[in-house]
Amino acid sequence: MNAMLALIICLFVLLLAVGGKQGTGSFAALMLNSLIIMIAVILMAGGFAPLGVGIVAGMLILACTIFLSSGDNEVAGIAFVASLIVLACLVLVVFTALHLSATAGFGAEDGEDLEGMSTAIGVSFRQLAMAAGLMSTLGAIAEAAIAVAAGMHELDIEADLPGIMRMGREIIGTAINTLFFGFFGGFCGLFIWFAQLHYPLWQVLNNKIFVSEMLDVLFSVLAVILTIPVTIWVARQRAHAVRR
Amino acid sequence: MRTTKSFAPTTLPSWRQPGWRRYLLTVGIAAVILLLVWFGLRHDAGLYSRQVAQVESVRTTAVSKLVDDHDNKDAQVRQQVRARLLNGKHKGQVVHFTNSYTRSQAIDFPLRTHQQVFLSKSQGSYQLSDAKRDSVSGVLLALVLILLFTFTGLHAFQTLAAIALNTGIFMLGINGLLKSHGNWPWYIMGILAVVFTIATALLIIGPRRVGFSIGLATLLSTLLAVGLGYGIMTAFNYRGIHIEEVRYVTQNPRLIFFAQIVIGALGAVLDETSDISVAVFQLPADAKVRFQAGMAIGRKIMGPLIAVLFMIFMADTFAESILWLRNGNTIAYTVSWVMGLGFAQSLISAFGIVLAVPITSGLAALLAGKKVAA
Repeated sequence: MNAMLALIICLFVLLLAVGGKQGTGSFAALMLNSLIIMIAVILMAGGFAPLGVGIVAGMLILACTIFLSSGDNEVAGIAFVASLIVLACLVLVVFTALHLSATAGFGAEDGEDLEGMSTAIGVSFRQLAMAAGLMSTLGAIAEAAIAVAAGMHELDIEADLPGIMRMGREIIGTAINTLFFGFFGGFCGLFIWFAQLHYPLWQVLNNKIFVSEMLDVLFSVLAVILTIPVTIWVARQRAHAVRR
Repeated sequence: MRTTKSFAPTTLPSWRQPGWRRYLLTVGIAAVILLLVWFGLRHDAGLYSRQVAQVESVRTTAVSKLVDDHDNKDAQVRQQVRARLLNGKHKGQVVHFTNSYTRSQAIDFPLRTHQQVFLSKSQGSYQLSDAKRDSVSGVLLALVLILLFTFTGLHAFQTLAAIALNTGIFMLGINGLLKSHGNWPWYIMGILAVVFTIATALLIIGPRRVGFSIGLATLLSTLLAVGLGYGIMTAFNYRGIHIEEVRYVTQNPRLIFFAQIVIGALGAVLDETSDISVAVFQLPADAKVRFQAGMAIGRKIMGPLIAVLFMIFMADTFAESILWLRNGNTIAYTVSWVMGLGFAQSLISAFGIVLAVPITSGLAALLAGKKVAA
């Protein structure tokens, strides 16, 4: 048996043991998301516009993550609508930033990985960077939207606005922490490279890979910050609609 | 930390108060700050010792079709560029150079008017060295900070302090690595993880019993997850996992692979253990009820947290996967060699996130119990 399969089975057992039915839901979401990502990558490589594929795949991934891993359908509904609104805002920001930043594709430090490959492959790497930037924020958006929607479900939406605001603040704080470590972890090797070769600060701050990575972190943080008020707004709109 | 006590309604936060004047004022101030940051970073060429120039006009001089061995159709575009030097001895001088890029922009990029670039000089003529990218990232950073302060007020300082502290620790860790001449020993990674956890727990929670519970649960879960991942991969002899493909690493890819997992998972696990612990410590019930309450909270948040790290790790593999596919590699081969590592890292991080649920619930139930007894 292959080690990857063993890891997958182990995660399934852990999720089942700790989470029961909710755990299997989370596992199903993870597997479905992997499948969506694989299909998206195949479509992008097959010549479909990467940004378009990314947006559609992003919506599917949000739906999977939110509906399969949160048990409550009402909470999931609010979180899903809110995360779609945030995704739409984010498309504009990501598009503008990556249009100006000249960070698409590979950097000089990627050279070794590109050896023997043709890089003139007729797929827009700028759009690809936009799609990747959008997709990397999805987990954070889903997590924050579910947390706010679930929290508001327990609180009185009308009477307890300060409580809701306090909850929102705390979610932003911990989510930024999660994202910061997540991205630092992902690019540990690059930072060691910079340090080993004594890159001066100005060079790091203008480095293609560093800036593209930093933009991805900022997109995610921006997404989380936007998710809080948007989810509160959606939940309040729904509460008003129900009352009428 | 996500469970909230009900408060009696007091005054509305400032941004919820009715009144367009206040709203417009906030947006106006934000716009002015962003413009100032943009202006500042567009005029910081004097701070660079390298030659900076601003593109004044671009003319496309030639477009040639490219077809590679795998029948990918692309185009090579040549641009004739006129630019003005922004710093150095020849500040203000107009220079000319050419830029050539492929339509797909995998390793190069087109220049546009007003773009700022670094130039290098050889034999009396200037060549494009790289784009100057600080203004885009700087403005986006300013936008994020403004939003952070608008929505979280002074709490933003706490968040930023945690990030600054952890960045400092990270730098020190990398320094430690360099002192060990590239053989990053296991213990540096261990020390780094412990210091990260203690510093963050102290800063977010303070020196309280909850903080201790959070720190211990985080370290235990992460250690167990990495141990489990290491055990499984060793038992299966790393079959199907191409550890040598870890990016930007020349020495000891296995250690960096696990370092990435530990650092990546720490934030998510800390987030989770603090959510559970803070809620459990508030409960007056006995240890068993507290444990069950902790498990219920953990079950709800573990799925989305796994998704956060999963998306971060997987999105990083996109560009390379597509490059591999277009270079005639099969889907199975590409998934296994390029996406596999990100996937394995997500799985092992997920171990930590799942294991943290019972570990934190148990620890918090026990420790909170002692507090009541004392």
